[in-house]
Amino acid sequence: MVKGIVEFLNYWYFRYLLVTELYMVEKWERVMFHIVLLIILSILSLFNTTVVVSLVSPITQSLFIQSDLQEGIPGVRGEL
Amino acid sequence: METRMEEGAGDTVTELLNGVDFENNTHQKGISNGYGPYSGTLTNGYTCINKKNGYTRGRRQNGHVLASSDEECTSKTMKGPIKNGYVKAASEEPLPKTRIIKESFEPPTLLTAALTHISFYILMFLGYLSQALFPPKVAKEKNRDGYSPLFDKFSSFYSMYVYRRIRDCWNYPICSVPGNEVVLKDRVTRDNGWTFEFTGSKTKCINLASYNYLGFAEKSGPCAEAAIDSIYKYGVTTGGTRQQYGTCDLHVELEKLTAEFLGVEDAITFGMGFATNALNIPTLLSPGCLVISDEKNHASLILGIRLPGATVKVFKHNDVQHLEEILRENIYKGQPNQPKGAYKPWKKILIVVEGVYSMEGTIVRLPEIIALKKKYKAYLYLDEAHSIGAMGKHGRGIVDYFGCDPKEIDILMGTFTKSFGSAGGYIAGTKELISFLRKNSFASKHAWAMAPPVAAQIIAVLKILMGKDGTNEGQKRIETLARNTRYFRKKIEQMGIIIHGNDDSPVVPILVYLYSKIAAMVRILIQEKIATVGVGYPATPLMEGRIRICLSAAHTKEQLDYALQVIEKVANELGLKYSRKPINSEPIEYDKIKVYED
Repeated sequence: MVKGIVEFLNYWYFRYLLVTELYMVEKWERVMFHIVLLIILSILSLFNTTVVVSLVSPITQSLFIQSDLQEGIPGVRGEL
Repeated sequence: METRMEEGAGDTVTELLNGVDFENNTHQKGISNGYGPYSGTLTNGYTCINKKNGYTRGRRQNGHVLASSDEECTSKTMKGPIKNGYVKAASEEPLPKTRIIKESFEPPTLLTAALTHISFYILMFLGYLSQALFPPKVAKEKNRDGYSPLFDKFSSFYSMYVYRRIRDCWNYPICSVPGNEVVLKDRVTRDNGWTFEFTGSKTKCINLASYNYLGFAEKSGPCAEAAIDSIYKYGVTTGGTRQQYGTCDLHVELEKLTAEFLGVEDAITFGMGFATNALNIPTLLSPGCLVISDEKNHASLILGIRLPGATVKVFKHNDVQHLEEILRENIYKGQPNQPKGAYKPWKKILIVVEGVYSMEGTIVRLPEIIALKKKYKAYLYLDEAHSIGAMGKHGRGIVDYFGCDPKEIDILMGTFTKSFGSAGGYIAGTKELISFLRKNSFASKHAWAMAPPVAAQIIAVLKILMGKDGTNEGQKRIETLARNTRYFRKKIEQMGIIIHGNDDSPVVPILVYLYSKIAAMVRILIQEKIATVGVGYPATPLMEGRIRICLSAAHTKEQLDYALQVIEKVANELGLKYSRKPINSEPIEYDKIKVYED
């Protein structure tokens, strides 16, 4: 069972290496690429959670408020 | 006839082009081949040349297309192109049977294309990173301050950080005759492709890599014996150029035989195939001439075309319509850089095409190009390097395959390297042309004459192909090659792998797109004892990395079956089944494949 899963993961890791051309590069380059990729992704998610969310939240809130006003839900108005 | 006039289709060539239907648009209803729903994605998927449509009676000798297709196109299935306006004229008598040119060019999906691009950028990024962090330990010139670099920076980067990584898939040393099997010398690299060491062992592989179409690359048999005998008589060198003391009776015999084989007046031979193109085209051209060249032409042709300083225009691969557009436009404009308002016609116009394109596996649309060349009074240069011997019922190349008259092609060029298992090239044509080349060609004036054993081998092969040895060995080989080709191509298509080119072309490019897949496939296939050639950028466009397979008459069915079975396994493993065409799962029987029946 575990062996099967490992084999499956290994195979698809191999396919992933093939389509990204990482199959033919040296091991340290592969690791380097993954580190860079991880750093980019984490910076991106940090940026998303801090900057983008704080920028977008007033817009979404105002949207919600408008829709809430139209629907006339008293609870929300009260909170604001 | 009235409809014809209304359509304004007065000239035969336009009609001919309409009838041929290059874009595969009008065929969607016409041909019930199962390609219909997919024809939108196939740019040039399926074309059908109808004798009656395409070619008026006077031109019928050109119109004969594909002597070996088992699928036939009759008046009923030709509804698409008949709509072009001349159906009425043709409907009174039943249309003669015509043949199909079946060529496939399935483009990759958007996802594959995007991934190929992205992964190429990853590769470049890692390459530059690696170069910056660890400068390569390669030889560097010293004391070169102030000099501009001698070599192109990008090409050296490319060879060090892209090609080097998978260099083990190329430049394989061999240690046997490249027949249906070839023995490779094993080597290992311990530093990621910078250097190689020989292990001392050897691997015997099925040879799907060598150009040995008719299997004449042999170390024994009548051809090899003829070559050996000639060494005892002449040695291996001629000791001079053809214009000096380099001509011996073998050369004269070879040229006579070549001309007879091709059905033309005369021929001249040279010791090197590449030089035949590169050195003879400049003899025929000068500034003020117009050369129109196919975009997929071989490097030797391109080099030859560039040397004399003529104006060069390139037309899209195998696109006769585009060729005609270029012809018209340039004939209208005349020579460039003239004083205002002045018109100077071209000295001459030369159309340069190949018979079978070695990287694409496509076949030139010769009948249409002959019709065009006649209409615009241009000369035609046909390079039959990959088709002579390999194509046509009698092995006389593309001209034979289409049943055209060889005298209609002005300059017939070919090589003795591929089908003849030898070396060198020829140019054949009228007596006038050949005498001109004999006097003026660089290859005749300055290049060493063909070595006698090489010439003897070719003569022996030519005699076998022409049946002059009293056997039907030549015919057998031609048919075996055609059968192997059809069998292999059909089987590969059944697997859902994308292959390019014509159904009858013995060059089979398997599209794999990515460098990693080229490398992985070549490596796995060599482990499984099959030798193939990987081709990537810059030999092909960036998007179209491929594995090229060359079939031969020397391959047995068992060898092909083994190779097919391994290829299927590898295709599953690497994910090469890109094709979205419907798969025809009818079993293919080797013995029942029809070749050259009429």
